Order: sequence, then C-alpha cells, then structure tokens
Amino acid sequence: MRNILLITLAIVFISGCSEPSKTANIAATDKTETSSTAVIEQASPESSAVNIEETQAMVLLSGLPTLGTTDSIAIIDMDPDSANFGDILYDYPLPKFDAPMHHLYYSPTGRLYATGLGSQCSLAEIELVRNAKAEPIISNFECLNTNGQNVGEDIMWHNVNGELTMFVTFMGGSDLSQVDTGTVGVFNAQNNQIIKIIEARQSQVEPGQPYIKFPHGISAYKDRMVVTSSTHPTMPAEVGNTITIIDLNTLEPIETIVIEDAKPVGFPSSPVEVLFVRPSIVENVTPAILVNTLFGFETWKVPYNEQTKSFSAPEKLYDGATSGTAVPLEFYGNKDELFISHGVPGVVKRYDLKQLPNLVSSGEDIKAESGAHHMIFYKTAAGRELIAIQNNLLNLGDAKDDDPTDIDFLVKLNHHSVTVHDLETGQRLGEINFKEKYSKGIDNIEALFGSGFTHHH
Amino acid sequence: MKASTIVVAIAVIFIATAIYYLENKAPNTHPVEFTAPFVFGRFNVPDNNPLTQESVLLGRRLFYDPILSRNHQVSCATCHKQALAFTDGLKTSVGVSGIPLKFNAMSLVNLMWGPQHFFWDGRVSSLEAQAIEPIKHVNEMARNIKQLLMELNNDEDYKKLFKQAYGEISEQSITKALANFQRTLISANSRYDQYLRGEISLTPIENQGRKLFMAHPDTKVILRGGNCIDCHSQFLTSGFASKFDGFSNNGLDNDETLQAGLFTLTQNEAHRGLFKAPTLRNIAVTAPYMHDGRFTTLEQVLAHYNGGIKRSKTLSPLIIEADNIAKTQIDHISLNLNDNEITAIIAFLHTLTDDEFLTNSAFSNPFMAASDDD
Repeated sequence: MRNILLITLAIVFISGCSEPSKTANIAATDKTETSSTAVIEQASPESSAVNIEETQAMVLLSGLPTLGTTDSIAIIDMDPDSANFGDILYDYPLPKFDAPMHHLYYSPTGRLYATGLGSQCSLAEIELVRNAKAEPIISNFECLNTNGQNVGEDIMWHNVNGELTMFVTFMGGSDLSQVDTGTVGVFNAQNNQIIKIIEARQSQVEPGQPYIKFPHGISAYKDRMVVTSSTHPTMPAEVGNTITIIDLNTLEPIETIVIEDAKPVGFPSSPVEVLFVRPSIVENVTPAILVNTLFGFETWKVPYNEQTKSFSAPEKLYDGATSGTAVPLEFYGNKDELFISHGVPGVVKRYDLKQLPNLVSSGEDIKAESGAHHMIFYKTAAGRELIAIQNNLLNLGDAKDDDPTDIDFLVKLNHHSVTVHDLETGQRLGEINFKEKYSKGIDNIEALFGSGFTHHH
Repeated sequence: MKASTIVVAIAVIFIATAIYYLENKAPNTHPVEFTAPFVFGRFNVPDNNPLTQESVLLGRRLFYDPILSRNHQVSCATCHKQALAFTDGLKTSVGVSGIPLKFNAMSLVNLMWGPQHFFWDGRVSSLEAQAIEPIKHVNEMARNIKQLLMELNNDEDYKKLFKQAYGEISEQSITKALANFQRTLISANSRYDQYLRGEISLTPIENQGRKLFMAHPDTKVILRGGNCIDCHSQFLTSGFASKFDGFSNNGLDNDETLQAGLFTLTQNEAHRGLFKAPTLRNIAVTAPYMHDGRFTTLEQVLAHYNGGIKRSKTLSPLIIEADNIAKTQIDHISLNLNDNEITAIIAFLHTLTDDEFLTNSAFSNPFMAASDDD
C-alpha cells in the first residue's frame, strides 16, 4: 500500500486538490448481500435503551509514533446532538503490528472481523461482548491463520454451493517479494479455517490466461465473483489495471478484463473497489459490475449476461479527470441511493439506486473532507437520518521517520476526521478530528450494530 | 455540671450515634460480574436495585422457598422449574387453591433484555412489579404480606441475608431480590449460540430450519420461509423493550372466542387477542405451548401456523400475508410448508436448548444444594 501514497502525491499535484471544504454533505456504503443481514440473525437490538448505541461507531485508530500514541479499536459517540459527541466511550489497545488494521466487517452471523495491512496480522476476529454494566467491550482479538497471505483488504461472505463462505482479498498475496503477487483467501465461515488460496500470478499463467494481481475490491453474484487488481503493497511501480472474474463452482479465475482508458496521472488505472449490481440490491436489475479506478479517477460499468454468464466490454460511466474529482474509493448504498466517495477533493456523490447499473445523480455532492473514504448510516434518537464519513485514506506513513501520517503529501488525503451530515440535505452537523483530539489517525469506521447500509461489495 | 458528667454524656451520645450508624448504614454489597453476548443488546437494571451478589443470593433462596405461600407448599419454583427452563410442564399452572390458572407458566430466561411488559398480557412493567403478583394472587400463593414479613423477621438466616442485601426486610426488598435473581438467569450457550460464535456447525437439516426460521416467504423470488422471525425477532432473549412491540394475535381464536390479552392492560380494542411473543430459547423443553398451553408438541405448533390459523379482526397481517405458494384462496391462511420444512424448523428450534443453563448450579434450589452438601 505504500506505493499508493507515493502515487497519490502525484494525483494531488496533478488534480490541483483544493483546500478542505468547510461545508459538507453525505455518503453511504454498500455491503455484501449476506453480511448486511448478520446482526438480524442474532436478534437485532430494537429497544429505546439501544438507541444510544445506534449512534455509536467503532473505529480503527492508528497510533502516531511522533505523538506518542498507539493503535486501538475505539467506540465513539457519533450523535451530533450529544454533549459527548466525539468522545471515546471505550478503547481497546491493539498489539503492535507491522502495519495498521485496515477494515472492520460484521459477518452475516454477527461476528466481527478486521483485515490488516501487514504480514503479522492480515486477518483477525474480534470478540465483542457486554459486561455487567451492559457496556460493549472487546474480550478477545485473535489474529487468524492465513497460511502466509499478506496485506488483507476486503472481506465478503457469500453462499457457495449452499455453504456460507468467507472470501478475503490479500493484496500482498503469499509472497510480497513477487512483482505480481496477490491472492484471494477462501475460508470456512464457521471455523475460519482456510479452504483454498486462489492464486494465479500473471507470470505463472499462459499469456492471455486470467490472473489475479494485487486484489483489493471484491463482489459476487450467484456463481461469479469479481476482484480488482489495484497496486502492489510495497513496489510503487507495480500497479494493476484489471478486474478478474472467479468461477465460484471451481474457485478458479476464468477471465481478466482491462478497465482502463486515459491515464490522468500517468499510472495504470488501479481498479480499487467493485460492486456487482444484482437483483438483491435493485429489484429486477440487469446485473453488472461497477468499478472505481483509484488512479484513473473513473467509475466503469461491465455488463453481465446472466444467461450466457458472459461479460461485455467495459463502459466508462464517470470521468473524474474532467469532473474535478480524483481517487474514487468506496461504494455504499441504502434502500434508495448508491454513494461513491472521492478522496479528492473529499466528496461523496449520490446516485439513484433504481437507475443502477447506470449512474444517475440523486442529489448534490456531500462535501466532506479530503480523503473521503468509508461511511456509516444511522439515526439519532429523534429519528434524524445521518451519514458519517471517514476522511482519511491511509495511515501508513513514511517508514524512514516511523511516522504514519505526518507526511506532507498525505495531508491532502489524510484529514484524520469523521464528518457527520444530515442524510437528506447533506448539511454538516459535526466533525471529529482524531489527530487533533486524540493524536491518532483513523483507518476505518463501522456502526456499532453493523453499518446501517444495505449494499457494500 | 461536673466534668465527669459531661464526659459521660458525650460518651453516651457517641455510642448512640455509633449504634444508629451501624444499624442504618447502607449494606456493603458487591456487584455481580458477568459478560453476555453483545448481540443480546443493551439492558437496564433499575438504579434503585443494583445487581449485587447479596441480592441475588437472597433472591435465589426466596425463589425456592415455599415460605412465600400461604400454605408453605408453593414456591416460585413450583411453577418455574429449572430443568424445564423455569416452566412447569402444565397446560396452565396450579397454585395453593388448586384451581388452574388462566395462563401457561412463562419461561424465565434472559429477562434483562427486553420486556417493558411482563406476563402474557403485559400487565406489569417491571420484574419487581411482576414478582409480587404471584405471591399475593389468591390462586397462586395467596400470601398475606404482613404475616410473611413477620415470619421472615423470625428467621435468623433471612434476617442476615436481608440485612446484607438491602438492610431491612420489606415487601420492596422481597420483590427486588426476586427480580435480581431472575436477572441472573442468563442463557447463552445453546448449540445455536455456539454456532453464532463459530464453535460448531449446524447439521444440514438444522441449517435448513435456521434459514426457514429467518425468512418471510416470498413467492415472487421463490424464497421459502417459516415466517417465525417476523414475530420472534427477539427469540434469544425475553422479548421486546419498546412499547407493545412483540405482542401479536397469532390466530389461535376467532372473533367469537378471542381472549382479552393486551386489551386487559390498554383497554384498546385493537389489542384484543394480542399476547406476548415469548422467547424461543429452550423451547423444546417448555411444552405445552401458547399462553393457554393448548398445544402439547412443537409439531402441533407448526401445524397451527401451517393451516390452523383462525381469522379475527386483530390477526397479525404478517400471518395473513405469509404463504409459500401464491395465494389462491384469500380466506385460507397457511404457510404451506411441506413436511420436510416443518421437520427442519423443529430441528432448528431444538438447537435453542441450553443444557448448561438447565443444569447450572447457580440457578438451582439452594436448599437442595445445602442438603446435598450435608
């Protein structure tokens, strides 16, 4: 991932990133078709007593060595109407790993997982319980055996032949020293044991055959899964420009599709997050894949013919280079809209869900801050619908001074904040700057009860 | 006044103050420590009745002691037996009068999570308020509270336990202690709990039942479902905590025979025939079923939902609408599950049995435990 930082330097210069906006709007996310139902299976809390927790979020925080802080998982009060807004309600110190933990995910059965950007703990399960005061606390944090797979990114749970299965993209694959590394780990969703490592390095397959390289985004529909090829975690020059389709009947890659057009910053497009638009997201939709390209600044559509199980030529739906945005990142969705975050200049664009897989605007951009990235959706006790946006790309930093965030060029993409907005109007209601308030960076945000969005991946 | 007199007076005042302080100081209690599954949700313990080890110790003894009944033969445990998940196996319970009560004994489990309204008809709003009702009820324990307090005050063990827990023996401290013991009846280790924690896998038929349990049928997308979760979303705990959520009319009676249910509390006609959707934890050991215990087996319960529904003006629309085949007869209400699916749902319901809970010595009869020790 460190090369992403270097490349984003170029992006920021080239795109002429402006000062952080002082006003903001909203965004949303989208999750696997199975994971969003997770907490429901465990008798989702519904009482008024729970309302105070519906406005709480879990965040992954990175310590800043120069500021004397260390990594942790925290629970934050996210109610902008509360006197405690922005307060850390609970903080669980994490062990010192070679890189920060990166993403939090709830499984369909309500278990909590995290991916990590290093080799020491690239995948972990987190046990969340309540103490006698009813407070949520972490009772255990266990790094899982990945059989040597490095740099965990995204997780998706999907039914394969009737069995719930956990898929994890590992950008660093099994060998970080390889220029075309990258794997997809297939895990038993119950016991976390590895079922298979899907690996198909470009240098090891015949020319023209499908390969998997630096996989990051992941999404699936029925027996077809798609992963992106983004960037090598440690080799700045190695950047991907493809997505690869995996046949879930065989767990083998079957097709690699180039997603690239112009190169606004001179690098390959680096497809990052991906969403397989499917009927469970939009009723009666014709399935298609949506792809964001980190360095192409674009959003693409790859139509899918369900009858022939074939993909058509990619179509560019959105061009950030001509629209004043860069570094598109996440797809999130609620029952009405799809939201896409753009790290530069720090906005979340919103689209009519029913119009997918085409992107038809459903409202003005939500103006967050530079590095607009992950999101959560929730309601206040009064019923006001909110979106919180994490504005921070990565807390990897410059190894030579051991500082994960205080790097000039990252200032433009690491605002270290979460901004809270009214979902309907986009009005900014509050901001928590973790660096200013806690001397820490923020890597990820997840609602305490699981996200509040219906579509992600 | 002589100096010696002053000294004596001061000493007397000091001693009197010390005695008063020692007799009236708040008891030195210790909080109960535990962890519970996060997904059970948040819970509240009343500020005026903190969950202390002393109150639970007292409450457990009271729960199992027939001293609470007029004839000294009926205790709470008479109708709430641990091995039956704190039910009694009877269609409707029988107390000191020998007259069958109106309702089937409800299971006592995970009571901290959920209800604002206790009993099948929701007629009381706290565990403390619930605890006193059976004690006073003429057909249940029929206890005169003044006499009960006198007897407790004559019992050295109880005097000590009450003093340690609440400082005094009173009606309030009796109900508080009973409520707190019931709060500790936490069940979180059924096979389904273990499945949720990733410790085990369910069998194929249990898993099929799990999916049916969780699904509302939708013939448009060929999704088959048992429609259970619609009313039993809080099936792992003891119900809902918000207003009257969790009360529904599940089609047991038609308009002519519709029982009062929640109407008893609210006097709202829209609530006639609505009863609390109970926990389904340990459901396999809590037969007979329904508020009046009319079904003796889970098979009968499933048969009811699969074709025995009686229409009435307050029947749950979720039940009316749920069908696994496209409706051809608007008057006929049925889930139209097949035999295999019914078997699967029942198999899943059996995964909710928590044997550890049913045999946990912390919840057992303390008098028997003392006897065993002897």
